[in-house]
Amino acid sequence: MIKKGCPMVGKGFNILVLIFCFGLLMMGCPKKAVIKEEPSAEKSEEFAAERQRTARLEAERAERALREKELKEREEAAKREFEKSLVTKKTPGIEGEVIESSLLRDIHFDFDQYDIRPGDKEILKATATLLKKYPSIKIQIEGHCDERGTLEYNLALGERRANSVKNYLLSLGIPDDRISTISYGKERPVDPGHYEEAWAKNRRAHFIILSK
Amino acid sequence: MVKYLLFPILLLSFFISSAEARVYLDINAPTFVRIPIALPKWKSADKTPPALTAKVYETLSNNLTLSGFFRVVPHQDFPLHLQQREGIPNPLSLEEWMPLGGEALLAGETFLGSDGTHIKLKFHLFDLIEKKHLVGKEYEGPIETLRNMVHRMVNEVIFQFTREKGVHNTKIAFVVRQGESKEIYSADFDGESVKQITQNQSINLSPAWSPDNKKIAFTSYLKRNPDLYMIDLDGKNLHRFLFFPGLNASPSWSPDGKQIVLMMGLEGKSDIYLVDANGGNPKKLTKGHGNEASPRWSPNGKWIAFVSDRSGSPQIYIMAQDGSNVRRLTFEGNYNTEPSWSPKGDRITFCGRVGGRFNIFTIGTDGFGLQKLTTNSGNNESPCWSPDGRYIAFSSTRTGGSKIYITNSNGLNQRPLTSSKGGESNPAWSKRFE
Repeated sequence: MIKKGCPMVGKGFNILVLIFCFGLLMMGCPKKAVIKEEPSAEKSEEFAAERQRTARLEAERAERALREKELKEREEAAKREFEKSLVTKKTPGIEGEVIESSLLRDIHFDFDQYDIRPGDKEILKATATLLKKYPSIKIQIEGHCDERGTLEYNLALGERRANSVKNYLLSLGIPDDRISTISYGKERPVDPGHYEEAWAKNRRAHFIILSK
Repeated sequence: MVKYLLFPILLLSFFISSAEARVYLDINAPTFVRIPIALPKWKSADKTPPALTAKVYETLSNNLTLSGFFRVVPHQDFPLHLQQREGIPNPLSLEEWMPLGGEALLAGETFLGSDGTHIKLKFHLFDLIEKKHLVGKEYEGPIETLRNMVHRMVNEVIFQFTREKGVHNTKIAFVVRQGESKEIYSADFDGESVKQITQNQSINLSPAWSPDNKKIAFTSYLKRNPDLYMIDLDGKNLHRFLFFPGLNASPSWSPDGKQIVLMMGLEGKSDIYLVDANGGNPKKLTKGHGNEASPRWSPNGKWIAFVSDRSGSPQIYIMAQDGSNVRRLTFEGNYNTEPSWSPKGDRITFCGRVGGRFNIFTIGTDGFGLQKLTTNSGNNESPCWSPDGRYIAFSSTRTGGSKIYITNSNGLNQRPLTSSKGGESNPAWSKRFE
């Protein structure tokens, strides 16, 4: 994560050095001019323009520095937010401690369907961006179904849902070895209700982080 | 292992011994009238505790009723002098039992062995209409096998009336929800002797009895993947034997116990695979883009019924055990899943959705003779056939929570298996424990 920030800082630093040198040049030149030549109206205009340019460049530099600082702060805030979003979770009877993040948002499916809804593609793009930002993270996609279906066919449907999400993330450039899938069928509903609102919540792909 | 002796008793000379093969009842008939059977009080021989005899009587009466073949004539309907009569009646005076309306009479005695740990049951069965003796047998064994002895007795009684033994010495495995986890249990055919088999707090699904009744294969999420496990009936020797990434689910044993068909997700979707019973040599049987589920081996080992949504909706298909000769079996409705073969291999029971509700159906393997067994009774799922083909176990939400029910295979006589409040699903019927 820090690696990704470094080139930005380096680039900014180079620009700073350039501006600084240019500034020195600008400050040095008029002095020489004063010794060697009579100041003319033309020259003083040029001098004023150059001073203006210097000032503008300095203002730009300051603004850029500010922007960079803000960006860095935002990135650090995002990192803090991501770290803060992580919750370790242990499920009795299922091996391993995993991590969940509210930033890896569930997506949902239509009844008996496993294709990704157009609106949910944005969620998965955000997920892909996050995964690219933290390239060491390995995730597992859980495919879930609502209760209105038979047990084993729902296992097949959950398998397909998890894999259609995986394929979409692969298409966004996430490497295959960072994503595993698991189908829970209708065995682990988030909402135990027996009505449409609950069913809609339960037809989902959920993400867990297996390792950071 | 339970061991006990069986002594068929010699027919006494004064019994009419012409018990020829008469079939009284045809279970496959669309309707039939239960045979009214009179059960005089059993006699406690010598120092046999009456409580033990009462238990035999109660288990017997309960199992005769549960069989769906008999209606036990209420004891209080007997004339007073017969209410007090105990033990096996004189075959020459059967007339006095006839006014009760019973067509059969079953009477017996219990003997506690001198060591106090063994018990002997002796019974005689009479046809009251034809006034003849049908059968008499003795069973002997440790007291803890008493229920098993009664189950065998009922099997024998059913055999006398149908020429085919009952399934009172079978067990039904099923899944019980406990909070977030699901554990595998078993119960006797009469719902008694409920035992927990898995105890791992995980999600345990789809129990499948090995053909020798010794082990159960099932899916568990113990290692954060749906893998196949094997376990002994006493909960010992838990062993993970198939654990490819993705699904390893819905096992069904070949009749010879050498192979297992199951659902596997090796290619990003569920397909039907064949493996050796130790998990080796996986071979893919299904082709194409559908989701394939719930493979079930036919009793003769030649065919596999399974679910596929290759046509756009889940339907039942049948293929040869090498994956060839695929044909679609169900065409009515758009959600037909969970096939199970009748032991004769001529019919398949399955769960179909009608108007948003799941119901139990049977259909001939030729695609004809569709029958609906459940109506207006919540959701009914996961049907499986009993080893004699007379019953189907399934789960139903008719009283709220999901419970295992048993019905005659024609839909009559539906009753809950256990007295639990719910959380039961996914029944699987054993073979007979001989």
